[in-house]
Amino acid sequence: MSEAAPHLVVRGVSKKYGPTTVLDHIDLTIRRGELVTLLGPSGCGKTTLLRAIAGLAQPDTGKVELAGRDVTHVPPHKRNVGVVFQSYALFPHLTVAGNIAFGLKVRGAARREIDAAVERALSLVKLGHLAGRRISALSGGQQQRVALARAIAVEPDVLLFDEALSALDRKLREEMQVELRRLLQDVKATAIFVTHDQDEALTMSDRVAVMNKGRIEQLAEPRELYLRPASLFALNFVGLSTRIAGTVLAAGNGKVEVETKVGRFSALGNFQAGSPVIVAARPEQLRIGEQSEANTAAGRVRSVVFQGSRTLVDVDAGAGESLLAELSGRDGKIPIVHDEIRLSWPVTETFAFPMEAQA
Amino acid sequence: MTEAALPAPLAAPSVDRERLAAIGFVLPSFVIIAGVFALPLVLLLGVSIVDANGLTLANYKRLLGTPYYLGVVWNSLRLGLLTTLIAFLISYPAAFALARARGPLRSVLLATLFLPLAASVIVKAFAWTILLRSDGIVNETLMALGIIEDPIRMIFTETALIVGAVNIFLPFMILPIYAIVAQLDSRYAEAAATLGASPLVTFVRVILPLTLPGIVAGVALVFSLSVSAYVVPTLLIGEKYPTLATAIAKAYLLAREPGFGAAAGVVLLAIAIAVVTLSARLSREPK
Ligand SMILES: Nc1ncnc2c1ncn2[C@@H]1O[C@H](COP(=O)(O)OP(=O)(O)OP(=O)(O)O)[C@@H](O)[C@H]1O
Ligand SMILES: [Mg+2]
Repeated sequence: MSEAAPHLVVRGVSKKYGPTTVLDHIDLTIRRGELVTLLGPSGCGKTTLLRAIAGLAQPDTGKVELAGRDVTHVPPHKRNVGVVFQSYALFPHLTVAGNIAFGLKVRGAARREIDAAVERALSLVKLGHLAGRRISALSGGQQQRVALARAIAVEPDVLLFDEALSALDRKLREEMQVELRRLLQDVKATAIFVTHDQDEALTMSDRVAVMNKGRIEQLAEPRELYLRPASLFALNFVGLSTRIAGTVLAAGNGKVEVETKVGRFSALGNFQAGSPVIVAARPEQLRIGEQSEANTAAGRVRSVVFQGSRTLVDVDAGAGESLLAELSGRDGKIPIVHDEIRLSWPVTETFAFPMEAQA
Repeated sequence: MTEAALPAPLAAPSVDRERLAAIGFVLPSFVIIAGVFALPLVLLLGVSIVDANGLTLANYKRLLGTPYYLGVVWNSLRLGLLTTLIAFLISYPAAFALARARGPLRSVLLATLFLPLAASVIVKAFAWTILLRSDGIVNETLMALGIIEDPIRMIFTETALIVGAVNIFLPFMILPIYAIVAQLDSRYAEAAATLGASPLVTFVRVILPLTLPGIVAGVALVFSLSVSAYVVPTLLIGEKYPTLATAIAKAYLLAREPGFGAAAGVVLLAIAIAVVTLSARLSREPK
């Protein structure tokens, strides 16, 4: 099968629990070897989508295809899907090796094959020395690795991670993100991560699906997601931004002129004149002083937050609007609180989103 | 870890104080157990192996050497084993049903389990005799419905005995299993399924081992209660099904043979301890 062939296809999957629609016509296509993250706020349906893919929740409508096979009505034990649960769900009555061997044992693999696979999986997660340990005698990070080893030992068609790193402390989590990504690329696994941590999503994945209220708002590479958010929700959920409410004065050629309480701005977007919109820009696009082809606004510095390589400056632009600028050390003088400053940012990095879509 | 932070001269006495405190907590229950259980047991053992002429094993020879008393031991074992087995078969699925039940249904089900515990064994055993005797409710109903013409003999049969014993001791099997099942994370079964285990394999390899501690506790409780039951066999079957417990009562109350009664008591205890120890060994964690 070629690298680009669709490996996991979710088509029009919907699911209701009682009156609430938890999944609303989800379409998602993942290529073999791709690492995709489902990113979204609590309750948006991430876990439910994973469970539908694993066969642990039956969708009301739609189809799930895995490795060219329609698995919509296949029970979980016949799907060949690996799941790493947030709580790990390691079997407490088995040792580390017993947990990893479980999947192969129930598939009736030969003893020798099992031993070899367990050893391979253990060395992959660097836990060879703990094979005989009880699960209760492992640290959180070690349990996470065992859960991973158990899932990959059966060589599943797709690996699903439900907030698999969220129980770890920040430092260990950041280490595991990098390590896990490298490991999954080494074994050429196709994987879906669920998280509500945007840094994790950007670090781990080839593509990120931003979910909101049971729908996928945007499915894009991390860079594109950040630079070209498809909706106000995606903009808000990934990274920081300056957002100013206004009304479209004139439109044309994919650009709009927007009248706001703090000035008139040009932005990218297609709207009819008179539409209420939000004009937005990423903080690193804002510079002190003038630039050509740029929007500008002035205000008084409200706060300055030093964050090492960058400094976040929050400016009160009046009329309840604020500007957020991220200045690097190279930008020269960093203002102090109460300074009156003028900021500018390129028109090509200014977006307009419909107002009512605000989450 | 406050001790670790303290300078060494202070840390040492505080550890000792902790140990002292631990002993202090254990001591009262130790004294009670020693006084109320261990001492009488030693006396019981003494009485069973001593007679007017000194040490003797005659009581044990009589108990384990005569066919009649071997039959008595067997009756007790049979009562204990059958009751435990049937109670387990009913309780295991019932505990799962109880754990799955939600809201008011669960409260009602739990109440039906707990309430009978408040009634005395004698009351419950009598209730069974009222239900099962020839002019009892069960026979009257069956005859009124025309299903049978003459009353069936139910009371004073082994079936009546086991049915009654199972009914009376059932909560002691369901509750410990339920306690474990209610704690059981459904994710274990889901993890097993995603690893390729069918529902049956999941049950055998995951659910059963994880609920074993509850089973062991229930088996230990119900077996030790039913093997030594006195009221239940006395009321539901009577003279023709002598058990160790009824034999002990007879030896003390009628025959005035305390040595023999004590020996029967020791054997009964040994049986209960053997079964409890054996089942506890089954639930050990790996390595
Ligand atoms: N078994 C269920 N019965 C009823 N409602 C459910 C069930 N499972 C999930 N839901 C509801 O579906 C919605 C989506 O749940 P889901 O667990 O998929 O969210 P999530 O995106 O994973 O959230 P989180 O980030 O908090 O884990 C929630 O409103 C939840 O209450
Ligand atoms: Mg979730």
